[in-house]
Amino acid sequence: MKKYWFIYKSEVMSDLQYIFNLLVGFISYLILIYIFLNLWNYMYDDPTQVINGYTKNQMIWYVIITEILWMTVGGRKLCRKICDDVKGGNIAYNINKPYSYIGYALSSHLGGCTVKAIMFTILGMITGIIFIGEFPKLTILSCIMVLITALLATIINTLLIIFVGLISFFIEDANPFYWLYSKFILVLGTIFPIEYFPSIMQPILIYSPIYVVSYGPAKLFVDFSWEKCLFIIIAQIAYIIIAYLLCRLLYKKGVKRLNVNGG
Amino acid sequence: MSVIEVKNISKTFKVKLKEKGLKGSLKSIVKPKYKKVQAVKNISFNIEKGEMVAFIGPNGAGKSTTIKMITSILYPDKGKISVLGLNPEKDRKKLAYEIGTVFGQKEQLWTHLTPYDNFKFFGAIYDIPEYQIEKKINELKELFELDEFINTPVRNLSLGQRIRCEIVASLIHEPKILFLDEPTIGLDPVVKENIRTLIKRMNKEYKTTVFLTSHDVSDIEKLCKRVIIINNGQLVLDDTMENLKYHYLNKKIVEAKMKEPVNLDGKDGLTILKDRGYNIKIEVDTTKKSVADAIKLLNPDNIIDINISNIPLENIISSIYKDGDTK
Repeated sequence: MKKYWFIYKSEVMSDLQYIFNLLVGFISYLILIYIFLNLWNYMYDDPTQVINGYTKNQMIWYVIITEILWMTVGGRKLCRKICDDVKGGNIAYNINKPYSYIGYALSSHLGGCTVKAIMFTILGMITGIIFIGEFPKLTILSCIMVLITALLATIINTLLIIFVGLISFFIEDANPFYWLYSKFILVLGTIFPIEYFPSIMQPILIYSPIYVVSYGPAKLFVDFSWEKCLFIIIAQIAYIIIAYLLCRLLYKKGVKRLNVNGG
Repeated sequence: MSVIEVKNISKTFKVKLKEKGLKGSLKSIVKPKYKKVQAVKNISFNIEKGEMVAFIGPNGAGKSTTIKMITSILYPDKGKISVLGLNPEKDRKKLAYEIGTVFGQKEQLWTHLTPYDNFKFFGAIYDIPEYQIEKKINELKELFELDEFINTPVRNLSLGQRIRCEIVASLIHEPKILFLDEPTIGLDPVVKENIRTLIKRMNKEYKTTVFLTSHDVSDIEKLCKRVIIINNGQLVLDDTMENLKYHYLNKKIVEAKMKEPVNLDGKDGLTILKDRGYNIKIEVDTTKKSVADAIKLLNPDNIIDINISNIPLENIISSIYKDGDTK
């Protein structure tokens, strides 16, 4: 594990050099929040009204949290990097190192997420306090649990993106698959909570990655319950195990097909 | 003792074919066609402990594919490879701890970190205890003269400094075999010489086996005692540098400044490379004519100045490549 800690640490150190690059991300984050703030203002007649179990303030906080999670992961870059590594042959230089490529990609990406997570959390909290004025009722312990589920959500999201990226072992370009995945998470999991969807869709969404990647931590933040927390964490751990095993399987099969020419 | 044993390995790639134009693109989706390219054909060789071997060949000869099979990146279709007694296909992780790789055209260092942080990183991924990493860094810092820039981010280093750091990074875990793929590419002659001296020093100090690939003949000539040449996927020569020069240096270059112009047209064993009247440059095939006879033909009384030299190693290697192409 020490080597993965070092990979993580090196990525954090490297990313600290680019802290100002986050500025563009901040702007798009604020624009998105502003759009949804207006949308919920339009939909809710008054702040006490409850739609599908959420008050207006809860809905705004929900989007703030899911957007933090989404902006933190920034999966397009990771997927493109893995595709380029596979197609350009760069993966060859990782194969003969004494670490697992999946472990390397995961810890390195989580390192890249760390600075973004801190910055977007600060920005998100300030934005929430300014626009909403009040913070959801959370104890220190429940806050810690939300952070744990957010961390697990980031790990799952990263593993799923690695999985999508590894598809490029078998097809020319995996980026369209990432596009589909990102739209699936963004439309069905970031903007609206699961309760907003037709009841026929809800059981499917509960077992989909949306539940563990975005809905879970955001739901706990706006409406914390220990029962839900336990269920979300169990689901997240199961997802991590499954996603990791799928990545390993795909990688193992892919490496056997690897064609690295030139040099 | 052989540290690398390669026995009859072959590797074939499946390459997708596409006909030209939009029609061809659509056709390749519906009915893709592939052709088989045999990159490596039945190659065998052994490398002894502590040897510095040049593994060379023209572009597309199969060098990189062979190196990638030895370093466990690719699997051979046929044949057997053993590196330090390990099977690269099955013991990939174990083997990773025993070998080091430097690819001149590929950065393995983290460019935003300093060389020191990079070395610590490489030490950690090879599971080296903290105190040992520090000791090794200090030792290699001295050997490769990195003191001046060890705390400067890699992105701010010159190419020569970066290559030195790349080599050090690959030596942190004390590999028994070091694979150097074009380590001096893009460097100026002074820095190239410096890198060669450091590689030699490293080989002497640590007895590291060096497997070198380079298109720079000086690298090969100055570093290696043995050369393996591969062309069109086949091994065309495996010999000592001394033998290579001895057997292939049957041609001499004679450059002479004459008092009077001389006509050597049609003389057996002589090839006129340059004739500017008073200055003449000829190639003497010593299997057909001795250098002394060639000088007699020039008439020693007519010579103002003369220079006799060997054919550059580069030309010898090129002719071996060409021979391989025609076979």
